[in-house]
Amino acid sequence: MKLKRTKLLVDPPASASSDIAFILIIFFLVCAAVQPESGIAQVLPKTEEKTDKREQSKNLEVSITRSSIVLNGSPLKLPEFAQRLAKDLSEKERDADRIVIVKSAPDTPYLLWIEVSQIIEKAGGILTLELETDRVINVE
Amino acid sequence: MKIERKRLTASIPAFAMGDIGFLLLIFFVILARAQDDSHVQWQPAQLPEVEMVAAPLASVTIDVGFKTYLDGKEISNDLLAGSLSAILGDTPAGERSVFLKVHKEAKASHFEPVIAAISEAGGDLVHILEPDKTSSNQ
Repeated sequence: MKLKRTKLLVDPPASASSDIAFILIIFFLVCAAVQPESGIAQVLPKTEEKTDKREQSKNLEVSITRSSIVLNGSPLKLPEFAQRLAKDLSEKERDADRIVIVKSAPDTPYLLWIEVSQIIEKAGGILTLELETDRVINVE
Repeated sequence: MKIERKRLTASIPAFAMGDIGFLLLIFFVILARAQDDSHVQWQPAQLPEVEMVAAPLASVTIDVGFKTYLDGKEISNDLLAGSLSAILGDTPAGERSVFLKVHKEAKASHFEPVIAAISEAGGDLVHILEPDKTSSNQ
């Protein structure tokens, strides 16, 4: 005669499952919250009022609009602008002469502004914003 | 004859102590994140060359509606410099990191006053951007 083995049913302990779920939720919340962020740093000296217009007129001037970049009156494409700016700045020795005044049209896109500021920084220029409120910010 | 009374000892169950400690730790970690701005809707611009950046003292965001937020709370550009100065306090230069999260479709009229305010407060500006994987692969 063949004896049937009695099957033992083992239930997983359910009392701790809510604790486990809660800890998992918090774990994923914290993971999502502390995701590292990427970007670019710019050191901003304190905002200063524009004092001497004549001295600043010696510096390079960049005007950015929605569709164009103008360096000292010459409209340029982004790669040409990078080359021309690097060439112009290489001729300047004093820090004061390496200031690049950037004036943006109100509809200038953020990405274009970032690209231009990156090019100026890489070329060794000191970015200076000229705002419509007649305030000047120096960006190193 | 004197019968000794049995002493009943009540021991605190130590099983759950680890779990309780862990939960408390996480609770305080979440509370400490006072500058949470995860509810603000914005999309970062993409640039090929970006680097990982350290945690900031404050975070300024321009959202899809081009409204300005300081640490997740809406603020006008006029009040931004003062509020940032209060947050940054006497923190030494180099540690005054302020994240600037600008929605990719924002225009100069939206982000330049914010940059001016960060500059006025003496913050170390960090533009938060996303790495442009398409152009870096090419």
